Amino acid sequence: MSKIRKIIHSRLIVTWGITLVTIVIGLAIVLLLIANSKRTVIQDAPPELPNQANPTDMLPSPKDVNIYLLESDGLELTPVRLELRLYAEPTEQLKQILSALVQTTPTNYRNPIPRGTVLNEVYIDTQKTAYLDFSHHLADGQIGGTTAEYMSVTSILRTVFDALPENIKHVQILIDGKEVETLAGHLNISQPLRF
Amino acid sequence: MQYNIKMCLRTFDPIKLFLFIILLVSATHGFSDAETVRFVNGEGDILDEVEFILHDNNIYLPVETLKSVFDPEMKHSYHTPSKQLTIKTKDKEIKLLMGNPSVTIDAGRQTITLTVPPRIIKGEQKLPISFFEVVLPELDDVRVIYKPELQRVRIMQNTSLPSDSSEINPLWTVIIDPGHGGEDDVGCKSQTGLFEKDVVLSVAKEIETLCKQHGFSIYLTREEDVKKSRQQRFQIANRFETGLYISLHCNASFSQNHKGLRLYLNNPYGSLRFRTAPIPTLGIKNLNIRTQANFLQQSKDFASILQKELNFFAKDPIAISEFPVISLKDVYMPAVLIELGYLSNLEDAARLTNQDHIRELAQTIVRSIQVYSAKVGHTIKSNGATAEESSNPIER
Ligand SMILES: [Zn+2]
Repeated sequence: MSKIRKIIHSRLIVTWGITLVTIVIGLAIVLLLIANSKRTVIQDAPPELPNQANPTDMLPSPKDVNIYLLESDGLELTPVRLELRLYAEPTEQLKQILSALVQTTPTNYRNPIPRGTVLNEVYIDTQKTAYLDFSHHLADGQIGGTTAEYMSVTSILRTVFDALPENIKHVQILIDGKEVETLAGHLNISQPLRF
Repeated sequence: MQYNIKMCLRTFDPIKLFLFIILLVSATHGFSDAETVRFVNGEGDILDEVEFILHDNNIYLPVETLKSVFDPEMKHSYHTPSKQLTIKTKDKEIKLLMGNPSVTIDAGRQTITLTVPPRIIKGEQKLPISFFEVVLPELDDVRVIYKPELQRVRIMQNTSLPSDSSEINPLWTVIIDPGHGGEDDVGCKSQTGLFEKDVVLSVAKEIETLCKQHGFSIYLTREEDVKKSRQQRFQIANRFETGLYISLHCNASFSQNHKGLRLYLNNPYGSLRFRTAPIPTLGIKNLNIRTQANFLQQSKDFASILQKELNFFAKDPIAISEFPVISLKDVYMPAVLIELGYLSNLEDAARLTNQDHIRELAQTIVRSIQVYSAKVGHTIKSNGATAEESSNPIER
């Protein structure tokens, strides 16, 4: 009898143990999901903040922005119009527009920015030079050739100057935070550039 | 994030539509000049555009063509019973028999056999295009190149080019820089697996051979498939007191439609500009500052010679672009970057595997070097007459 009771007792402990662990893990997952979903919500639509001067304020209505891409059978970069909900602050706007350039390739278009390229950071100095820090993919993903390299650089420059002609006069491209001489070995991008 | 993509769809207004229809009709029916051969001189100027007749897939031209493209003094006569055509040009007498491929110059002193014979077509004596290619160089000091795909014949004077090394300044050196190289830097690639580093090296070697034949001092920044840094390449060039720097590359584009040759100059204030102000124009103070910028005008001169010479390879004029070019950055002599063709374009890539095309490219580049060296006076001429002739191709 006591043997049987002992077995039942130990089984009970195991069952309860498993149940407890499951509950704890489940709770952790639920909490994590909630935290994540909150973050997404913030990214998609920032809450209306009472402070007017907040840099993350959005413009009242969506704005038309041109990104410069190559038509599949074309020889020159052409503007592709996007409608974006932009932040009010120029640095933030630039981040949004360049992220859109890096990510958007409509059908029948070629994007001269290599796949995988990420915009790390943007900084605009007092001389109206924008420093655009891209991930290494922008250099490593180059297909070679002066034409392709020139297109990668000018697609960024044209998109920037088109969107913020008053705020930005020069652009310097950085790779992973560092100044670089060139992307593919032909075009010199070691200094701030303009057209 | 969500983006509403509004494509900039081109609106079809009636005028554009009309022009489009005209273009379509002319493209399908062909322009009238689709049946002509264009004759150009060494500088690419049009000498004449001549209508041709196609016979057994061979192009035939009227005898009068010789007058407009070769010798305005040319005279010819035809003896119907014997079917003999006699042409008098450049103090020589040429005899041809219709239907017979042999050409006799000066009563049998020289006989040339053509691939196809001259013929009577539509009641007139016609010369095959090979007559122009093969016979003209025997009558005068000219080179004739026929490009069937462009329906273009180029007749170039052979004068003005230095023939032996005693005429050339031994200090003036041609530096050929085959771009890229080594395991890590193959340059661009074709779909067929062709590497830029290999194409440019084979063109560079061909140029080296030809330059040596013409007595030029020449140096390659790399002789084999090895990695060379930009600084190493610049150092090699700057060891030489005076010369000309030519960087060879192959192009690539995201569009397969991009094709042809392109020329690039290092100008930090060109179509793309640096923020820093250019160094003020050369004063006594700046004379010791050696920069690429000091050679920009000379680089432009050489590029325009190259442009004229290389134009023969292309339907569209070859573009010269100026912006900050890193591959020419610290070269202290005139410097030009030549993109020899697009490896991303099937036609260009196929041509760049063709040994004949590579040789022709190299010949044209060397000819440009010769013309330039004669112009800048690095070729010491043995007598005044040839020196004068040598500057003609540029001034004309
Ligand atoms: Zn290259």
